[in-house]
Amino acid sequence: MPTDVLATLTATPLFAVGLTLAAFLVGSALFNRLKQPSWLPAILIAALLLAGALALIGMPYATYQQGAAWLTVLLGPATVALGMPLYQQLPRIRALWRPLAVCLPISAALATFYALGIAWLMGSPGQILASIAAKSVTAPIAIGITEQLGGNVALLMGALLVTGVVTIPCVSLCARVLHIDDERIIGFALGLNGHAIGTVRAFELSHTAGAFASLGMSLTGIFTALLLPLAWELIGVGSG
Amino acid sequence: MPALNGLLWLISYWLIGEVVIHFSGLPISSGVVGMLLMGVTLSVIGRVPSSISAAAQPLIGLLAMLIMPGVVGVFFILDELAGQWLAILVALSLGTLLSVVTTLWLLKRLMGHHAH
Repeated sequence: MPTDVLATLTATPLFAVGLTLAAFLVGSALFNRLKQPSWLPAILIAALLLAGALALIGMPYATYQQGAAWLTVLLGPATVALGMPLYQQLPRIRALWRPLAVCLPISAALATFYALGIAWLMGSPGQILASIAAKSVTAPIAIGITEQLGGNVALLMGALLVTGVVTIPCVSLCARVLHIDDERIIGFALGLNGHAIGTVRAFELSHTAGAFASLGMSLTGIFTALLLPLAWELIGVGSG
Repeated sequence: MPALNGLLWLISYWLIGEVVIHFSGLPISSGVVGMLLMGVTLSVIGRVPSSISAAAQPLIGLLAMLIMPGVVGVFFILDELAGQWLAILVALSLGTLLSVVTTLWLLKRLMGHHAH
């Protein structure tokens, strides 16, 4: 595309917004056409399409991101909106508060610990460890944590994508192996490990799974945000 | 316009979250504070006002699209991380598999008689 046309188009944030909407709609359509494969979530198809489109027209990512900010600002109210399914499922959540309260800190801590342990064993430097530590935390919280640890936010977003995408087939596979068909357990595991991507998947399964996923996602976010920076200081991983 | 009304509520709760964080210094996001406050408010009211659900339902459906612009950024730092990818990918996928197994197994055990 001639650069002057591109310059005219990218001068308005609507170009980036339109591109995002288009990639999302085409990605979702392809996802449905492929009969909703659990190993290839709609968001991965859409992200690949979007990255391909940006590379094709030669639009710098920073320019795109600036325009798309008009859209991503809605992430705030969308997160608040999750309070609604949370409230609707409150009686079912309350009935299970004890197992959930025990499971959450252990699982959320291990979600970080396993990944960091493996990366550390494979010789990843501290900067990389700081970038992937919040891999199971929902994006708006994870960005804050990563900045606090001194990690790279772009790498974090990639880690979120990989984690979210991997969580979905892992949960369906492990649930089958462990003979679990309780949507509450499956939803909670999807949200706790796979943050927003897992939660979106859980809502595709059922409203109950979605509500437990929202709960798992938000509790993991809060728990990790409060304790990870502290643990980081104590263990001194960042200095390594 | 119930949806617009509901959106104003969601935005207000997010802004309240900002204020709470500003004064408390909690290292969490205003979205999460707003979500928890929204959950508490709805349980106090005892029902979901139609305006809130008119705004919340479509926004929840769009969550995946809203995180997409950030996610795409990773494709543009691939070169910078040459040589690190194997360790990162193994750590993320194996780590996630392990933590998924842990969560499912642990919660199933803990729920015991609650499970149906």
